[in-house]
Amino acid sequence: MDENRILEVKNLNLHFKTYSGNVQAIRGVDFHLNRGETLAIVGESGSGKSVTIKAVTKLLPDNAVIDSGEILYEGQDILPMDDKKFSHLRGNDISLIFQDPLSSLDPVMKIGKQIMEAILIKKQGTKREAAAKALELMRAVGIPEPEKRFNEYPFQFSGGMRQRIVIAIALACNPKLLICDEPTTALDVTIQSQILDLIKDMQRERDLSVIFITHDLGVVANVADRVCVMYAGKIVEVGTVEDIFYDPRHPYTWSLLASMPSLNTSSEDKLMVIPGSQPNMLVPPKGDAFAARNRYAMKIDFEREPPMFRISDTHYAATWLEHPDAPKIGIPALLRHRIDEQLREEATS
Amino acid sequence: MIKYIIKRVIAMLITLFIIVSLCFLTIRMIPGDIVGQGAQPEIREAMEERYHLNDPLPEQYVTFLKNFFTLDFGESITTYPRSPVFNVIMDKIPLTLQLNLFSLVITIPLGILFGIIAALKKNKPTDHAISVMVVLCVSVPSFVFAALLQYFFAFKLGWFPLLLELEDKGLTLTKLWSMVLPVLALSFGGIATITRYMRAELFEALNSEYMLLSRAKGLTRMQSTVRHAIRNSFIPLCNIIIPMFMNLLGGSMVVENIFGIPGIGRLTVMSISNSDYFLTVAVLFFYSIISLLSVLIVDLSYGIIDPRIRIGGGKTVE
Repeated sequence: MDENRILEVKNLNLHFKTYSGNVQAIRGVDFHLNRGETLAIVGESGSGKSVTIKAVTKLLPDNAVIDSGEILYEGQDILPMDDKKFSHLRGNDISLIFQDPLSSLDPVMKIGKQIMEAILIKKQGTKREAAAKALELMRAVGIPEPEKRFNEYPFQFSGGMRQRIVIAIALACNPKLLICDEPTTALDVTIQSQILDLIKDMQRERDLSVIFITHDLGVVANVADRVCVMYAGKIVEVGTVEDIFYDPRHPYTWSLLASMPSLNTSSEDKLMVIPGSQPNMLVPPKGDAFAARNRYAMKIDFEREPPMFRISDTHYAATWLEHPDAPKIGIPALLRHRIDEQLREEATS
Repeated sequence: MIKYIIKRVIAMLITLFIIVSLCFLTIRMIPGDIVGQGAQPEIREAMEERYHLNDPLPEQYVTFLKNFFTLDFGESITTYPRSPVFNVIMDKIPLTLQLNLFSLVITIPLGILFGIIAALKKNKPTDHAISVMVVLCVSVPSFVFAALLQYFFAFKLGWFPLLLELEDKGLTLTKLWSMVLPVLALSFGGIATITRYMRAELFEALNSEYMLLSRAKGLTRMQSTVRHAIRNSFIPLCNIIIPMFMNLLGGSMVVENIFGIPGIGRLTVMSISNSDYFLTVAVLFFYSIISLLSVLIVDLSYGIIDPRIRIGGGKTVE
């Protein structure tokens, strides 16, 4: 086992039992997270990114069934652990920040008590120590007048402030792994960047390993070291931020990047739109799940699932275009142009 | 807050006035002889004199109101001749209250318990079984339960006495034993109502985002259910538990008759059938006060229990 890997997910397969059948939410996901690194998982809604981290934190709803796979935290498979045993890891070692800070705090419990609860439940000190720690955390995440705010209720806090509290709670027990599930989606753009900066600061100060779930590529470029692109319950491309942003290989990654506005996009420019919608995961399509929406799809895409092709030590993509026999298509012109522009800008600055 | 309470109390007084007036008019419009048929002419005359029964109705109404507002509720005419109505009611309250409190003591914990079980086992056989019981208990009126319980457990099996034991003044074992059936009959509906609410509220709370966060903090499923979900679902529950004190008084009207309990409920029925109008109005007045007060207490208790209203809603309450 690689000592440097804090988390490793191996061939995770998972489905949801629903009235209309089994939804294949995760179909063979593999990824790992190195210590001190930030991994971003991107993909559109329903691609399975939240489900993946819910599996990692064992917070899956009751109708989820894990078919196969291993989730190794520091070399230890967490899937067979029971609720009590894993609750020990959760909070202590692994922490979570959720999408919606407006509803993720208990509305009838005082803020201070909610932070203290995380500390007390792990028996990391007496009540007084916990209170002192809670105040310190509130100060660290940038809550003004923490002594006064300590005894207030969540409804007295704004959205951004609540997300700061959620971050304080997540950090209360000095976790090693922090998982952020779209932590800025529900917030204003200005607050978004504050929260992102806060998470980055906390990561640096506390030497956290971070998994960042988002569909916002701007956020990815801002925070991540490595990126996993997910589509229809699979990771289709994985690489460093540079790999993904400057040398994307999977047509889905191309489409994602091309559909994102850049600073140079003028109001006349049309953004690329990915045609169609994600396949119905009750009956996952044969071959590459993205084939039906892919302009560059070849016959084989509809017949056989592409394996992960190695591009470099850090960069892998699951597309037949990387096969030695495939026609050399290359990045679409629009995207090529944009990447070149960005590279030029970076070179000059 | 104080302004709000004063407003509510004034509104309550107006409501009470309307209720009392309506009671008076309705009772007096019911056909029947207040004095009672076959009474001696002298007695009839004396009673008509004493209770101003021959005055025009509006005049009687004014006298009645005047007395009523000086807290002179009049005296019982035929049911308990010449006893002040106030004393009659006071006499009846302890027994009714006793029964109702016993009933509440089993209703609230059982209702909450079943509700929690049903919510935690939602859509599993346990939940379905509880739901069937709930539907049954909510839809069957308490007097049907009373009659059935009395028939099977008291008459057929003979485990319990048919009627309430009244010989013992204090709370003896025999008296407690005889109270079991009426208390049960009074409780079924309440248990079902609380179960239904508790299940719905708790289920919603269990699926909320703050439950995920509390799990993320490292609380086990059990810990976060007890500390967060149940706590949150109690708030809306107050809305139905407090008025239950009132509902039980109403429910006891027929149940008390079945088990021969000389309580407030039975008094109401008797006073109406005897056209004992002072008594009827006073009893209905008593009911109205309790129900209005319980509504007021519910509204105020929200402000105490729920911090969102206590602190945040100072202005919005009005």
